[in-house]
Amino acid sequence: MKMKKTMFRGALILVFLLIPVVAISQGMVQGTITDNNGLPVPGANIVVKGTTNGTTSDFDGIYEISIDGFPSTLVFSSLGYSTREIQVSSASTLDVILEESVMGLDEVVVSGLASSVKRRNLANAVATVSAAELAGVTPPKTLDGALAGKFTGAVVNANSGAPGGGMSIKFRGVTSINGNSQPLYIVDGVYVDNSSISSGGLNAVSQASGGGNPSSQDNATNRIADINPDDIANIEILKGASAAAIYGSRGAAGVVIITTKKGQAGKTKVNLTQGFGFNQVIRLQGQRNWSEALAESEFGEGALYAAALSSGRLRDYEEEIFGEEGLISNTNLSASGGNDKTTFFAGITNNDEDGIVKNTGYKKTSFRLNVEHNFNTNIKLSLNSNYISSVADRGFFNNDNSGTTIGVALTSTRPWDYLLPDANGNYPDHPNNSSNPLQTRDLMTNSERVNRFILGGSLDVNLYSKQNSNLKLVTRAGVDSYNMEAKVIFPKELQFQRPDQGGVNGVSAITNTNNKNANYSAFLVHNYFTDNDLSFNTQVGATNEHFSRNTVSVVASDLIASETNVDQGANQNVNQNRLEQEDMGFFVQETVNYQDKLIGTLGLRGDKSTNNGDINKFFYYPKASIAANLNNFGFWGDGSFMNRLKLRAAYGEAGTFAAFGSLYTVYQSTLVDGNVGIVVPLTQGNPEISPERQKELEIGFDMGILDERLGLELTWYQKRVDDLLLLANTEPSTGFSTKWENAGELENTGVEIALNASIVNKENFSWDATLNWWKNTSEMVRMDIPAYNTGGFGTGLGTFRIEEGKSVTQIVGTNVDGDLVQLGDAEPDFQTSLFNNINYKNFSLSFLWHWKKGGDNVNLTKLLSDFGGTSADYDEISLDPGGTIPNGVYRVNNGIFAGNATPFVEDASYLRLREIGLYYKVPSKHLTDWFGDVISDVKVGFSGNNIINIFDYNSYDPEVSNFGGNGLSTGVEVTPFPSSKRYMMHISVQF
Amino acid sequence: MKIIKAIRILMVVISFVLVSCELDGGESLNGASTSSISDDISRGELTQAVSGVLSDMRVGLSTHNDVKSIFGREYYYFTSSDPRYEGDVVVGNLDNNTFYVTTPWGARYATVKNINLILEGLDNTTADFSAAEIAGARGVLNTLKAYELLMLSDNQHDNGIRVDVSDSENLGAFLDRSAALSSIAGLLDSAAGELGSAGDSFAFGLSSGYSGFDTPQTFLQFNRALMARVSAYQGDYTTTLAALNASFFDLAGDLDGGIYHTFSLSGQDIANPLFIALNQTANVRVAHSSFVTDVQDGDTRLEKVVERDEPREATGLVGTHDVALYGSNVDNIPVLRNEELILLYAEANMQTNPGEAVAALDVLRTAAGLPAYTGTTTPAALEDEILYNRRYSLFGEGHRWIDMRRFGRLSDLPNDRSTDNVPSAIPVPANENK
Repeated sequence: MKMKKTMFRGALILVFLLIPVVAISQGMVQGTITDNNGLPVPGANIVVKGTTNGTTSDFDGIYEISIDGFPSTLVFSSLGYSTREIQVSSASTLDVILEESVMGLDEVVVSGLASSVKRRNLANAVATVSAAELAGVTPPKTLDGALAGKFTGAVVNANSGAPGGGMSIKFRGVTSINGNSQPLYIVDGVYVDNSSISSGGLNAVSQASGGGNPSSQDNATNRIADINPDDIANIEILKGASAAAIYGSRGAAGVVIITTKKGQAGKTKVNLTQGFGFNQVIRLQGQRNWSEALAESEFGEGALYAAALSSGRLRDYEEEIFGEEGLISNTNLSASGGNDKTTFFAGITNNDEDGIVKNTGYKKTSFRLNVEHNFNTNIKLSLNSNYISSVADRGFFNNDNSGTTIGVALTSTRPWDYLLPDANGNYPDHPNNSSNPLQTRDLMTNSERVNRFILGGSLDVNLYSKQNSNLKLVTRAGVDSYNMEAKVIFPKELQFQRPDQGGVNGVSAITNTNNKNANYSAFLVHNYFTDNDLSFNTQVGATNEHFSRNTVSVVASDLIASETNVDQGANQNVNQNRLEQEDMGFFVQETVNYQDKLIGTLGLRGDKSTNNGDINKFFYYPKASIAANLNNFGFWGDGSFMNRLKLRAAYGEAGTFAAFGSLYTVYQSTLVDGNVGIVVPLTQGNPEISPERQKELEIGFDMGILDERLGLELTWYQKRVDDLLLLANTEPSTGFSTKWENAGELENTGVEIALNASIVNKENFSWDATLNWWKNTSEMVRMDIPAYNTGGFGTGLGTFRIEEGKSVTQIVGTNVDGDLVQLGDAEPDFQTSLFNNINYKNFSLSFLWHWKKGGDNVNLTKLLSDFGGTSADYDEISLDPGGTIPNGVYRVNNGIFAGNATPFVEDASYLRLREIGLYYKVPSKHLTDWFGDVISDVKVGFSGNNIINIFDYNSYDPEVSNFGGNGLSTGVEVTPFPSSKRYMMHISVQF
Repeated sequence: MKIIKAIRILMVVISFVLVSCELDGGESLNGASTSSISDDISRGELTQAVSGVLSDMRVGLSTHNDVKSIFGREYYYFTSSDPRYEGDVVVGNLDNNTFYVTTPWGARYATVKNINLILEGLDNTTADFSAAEIAGARGVLNTLKAYELLMLSDNQHDNGIRVDVSDSENLGAFLDRSAALSSIAGLLDSAAGELGSAGDSFAFGLSSGYSGFDTPQTFLQFNRALMARVSAYQGDYTTTLAALNASFFDLAGDLDGGIYHTFSLSGQDIANPLFIALNQTANVRVAHSSFVTDVQDGDTRLEKVVERDEPREATGLVGTHDVALYGSNVDNIPVLRNEELILLYAEANMQTNPGEAVAALDVLRTAAGLPAYTGTTTPAALEDEILYNRRYSLFGEGHRWIDMRRFGRLSDLPNDRSTDNVPSAIPVPANENK
């Protein structure tokens, strides 16, 4: 092809030379081709329609084409972008913006550990999120939060609104009940840690997990929040084992594969983006409709109410605490450039965000340098480096058993309570609670400080390359290393720290975590093509991963003066927790492509790990898939409305490891009268424990019609997870409460539909839309142990229950008759999202609606406010079926005291305008007029996040989780940090 | 051709992976495995393992004591964070899968497990323990095990407890109250035998809560004191008197003399879970109103409660007095005190030797600032007087509910709300699959 084109071009030039005057309307058209973000598109094809006259754009996206006769139509196309046709009537300058293709048919998608495949040949429903979709509309709070609603098959849930994140993501239903259910994150080939590490000292004060659930209620950040969304070029999501089998025993919960931006050869481009904005609480619960009479009847404090009223001292403390407008500033400076040998991308981002509660906030600085160097045409080295420094101040929220968290304290706070400090900063004691929430907010510290390096390198060597075969060696190494220092300080001035109030005279805690993941892999990739377009791709390789973590926490109490060093106290409590794991595996895969008509793949991953009972036993994870592009069989002609129809089926298996240490029954240390002692743990280990195994079958079809202006993807999947890791209840008289067992099987079945449309595609006006719809249902198909409750506060308040034949995410509780019944299900009935991107001239408007229909929460915030007599809806009557008892009384007397959990299980549906962004791109000719060649691109705009939220849920936000992200327990609410909406304005300048 | 070549390379790589890369590692990094004790306990480990037992005996103590004290209408526990103490527990509607049932049960059996692992380790040990040292360790451990089992049986009563739980895979049958008490008495007797052949000292240390009871001879006095309690519960007063005789029972001695749980704030130690400062609002232990109204004039034992600045109300229940048994969060909590032994002595003599019973009671009355007992000495009258003194002498130590139950008087306990009720036993946790 290339030869022919060059020859033809040569011929054309000859013609031009010979008859320059014949064609009167002949002329040159030139300009720059850029993408939505104003970045140049190099290597784009420009062809005069109906001819073979064509050219390509250079590194800076600049093209020049001579036209024989006007008017002519120019066709602009490039891999991964929608093709555009523009009529030209005279020789002129024509700058063209190519939209990234809605269908993304030509983008390449991961298919093996060392190979990728064009989307049109892909047999799996792999979702991709581009840079523009991820952060192009509005800057996301965190990377994982930015995924909500952008593709099918996921439940993305924020655990709290505290700055710095805390998210849970589940692909295609619950994949593990007591094992890890959060996806694996791979950034440029590096296994990136996403742990949530609780800070010492919080539970010591809140006593949240004293007598009740052992899960973490401390609301720690999950560490994927460190990754800077601005650096990301592309995210691919493997939602289940059929695609994620290549990641073996770590793939069952899905894999999020993140690729960061690379440099473009050519002129060095510098881009500066600045965003300003603010946070605001989405919804406040409001106040009970207080009056002197009500204050008297409820608390006998009518006189205090009247006094406060007359002196203007009535105060809405919810507003006082959550009513801040936290400022946000995002600065991003990036540079990209290089030559044909070496390219680089460098970026520095600084995010600074205040929370909606005073003294909370998040600061992050991320520096990235990605370099690629071609030694020659056969050897390519690339190096990706990222340094992140972040600080999150997260306040003190969620459940407690001591009346100390700000959230719980608010439930007992009445408007006439006077809690403000005097001129010297002395806070009054709360007259109705053991802590003064304003004092706690102002004086306590709960911060997480992270320093993190992520380094990844790869070396690709073409070992040989012949006419019809080639062999490539791909080697990769990656390290993710971070140190996190979590500081928790409760000064002795706090009401609940004072010894006369039963306090311990101040608590200061340091929790230091060192985490290092390292992974190495080497692959041989062999391609072989036959003359009749049959191609074989063979890859074989070995992988090795190391995971190491060491957390040491020191909690000091009875502090000296106002010192906070942990040695400056009477008592120190030290804890250390280590994790060391090494996995080793191999991977082989064969893909056969017959003329892009039939594409079949077979693969096998074998994994062994020090986390298994037999550390040198291999666990094998096979995969197989086939795709048939019916449109390439010639059943219908080129002119048909059907441009593309692909049938696909994929099967794969993947695993989830047992939690580290679950093989062993390990003594815990204790102290009595100065003597160290050892005591049995709650959970009995099981030396026989093995990884869970997920088997997923996925079938579907993709079609494109009407010149690919309408695309449809439909996928049905069924995944069964066998050998489920269950923290089974044991007879407690064994001395243990629970024991690890491989003891059950669950099944998720679901449907995912994605409809893409290019509704309008004119030169000055384009409108693309994507409609996603997805649904999952789950069932516990087998249980080898008795049903058990998990992730809640017992059947009187609503709890999850793992029970054969029932939905895995069912919420049960005792009803008004005292019978244990299913009261709800955390699984949504369905979710749907609608993304629109409208470009008119230099304006672009994008917005994303996300509707989650159904799915229930356990809401206990209102109940705690009822006990404090402060619920906003205390006197309303909407819960009592008899229509006589006020809600506050009903929840207490007819709810918890009657053993009736019904009022606490609530529908958590929502409809949100997740993201909206309106941008104006200053026309380049103005820029040239104003700045000459210095500034090539200027964009300004407004955007917002969660601006519109519609829900009936009776609290701050149906997206909430008292118990953090893992397992089933999302959706249990106890006085959380409320979530917020964000308003931003932006300016972006390219030099 | 090429495919064959590729396959050949593939074989080479796979065999490379399979053959040359053996993993090593795979250890429990975060603590000693339980088998390290049960397979062969060493001298150094013995003290640590016994300390573990003493420490674990305190776990769940507040839940255990609060539930019993609420049942006995000694005090209420109101906490803003968990309404079930003023709900389920006062109403007497106990869910068999909620913490107030499962925590005390699980904590006591965890201690029993700790003990059983050491007993197993003592059978298997290769360390240079003498026979006397092993007998001493067994005597102490079996005595403590009997105490833990008694705590369980006190709660579950005729719902039953398992006594033989040494094999997790093969748990023993449920024993009702009377069978459990016989079994516990048997365990105490055999422990007494072991202590008798334990020489003059133990091979391990005990906490300061056992000071005065830290040799085989003196620990035996604790063993016998427990036997006195168990036999009184059995109604076998002859044995009670014999056991008291061999115990540290002392009519002239310090009423507070005895064995205690100790607490501190250092390191992994725990604070006294029953301490709450006075006049708190969020979490309070407030005396039942009858404790104040039923007291005899001048009884200084009323000082165990202190009137609050403001009453604390909780859904229809009102507390006007804070429980003030403990002055700080490191105060000791009694396991067994001489004061109880004096009461057991009075009880054991109530029918057979009323004069001796009155003499014992007068020791306590005098100490409490009351005049000597002048009422009739019929068993019924003395029973009333004993129960009065047990109520005030042992207030907040978890006795009243058990006392009222064994004397058939549970229905005498007051219920402040129409919904309230005093149950006769705590259910067996659901997970026991009884």
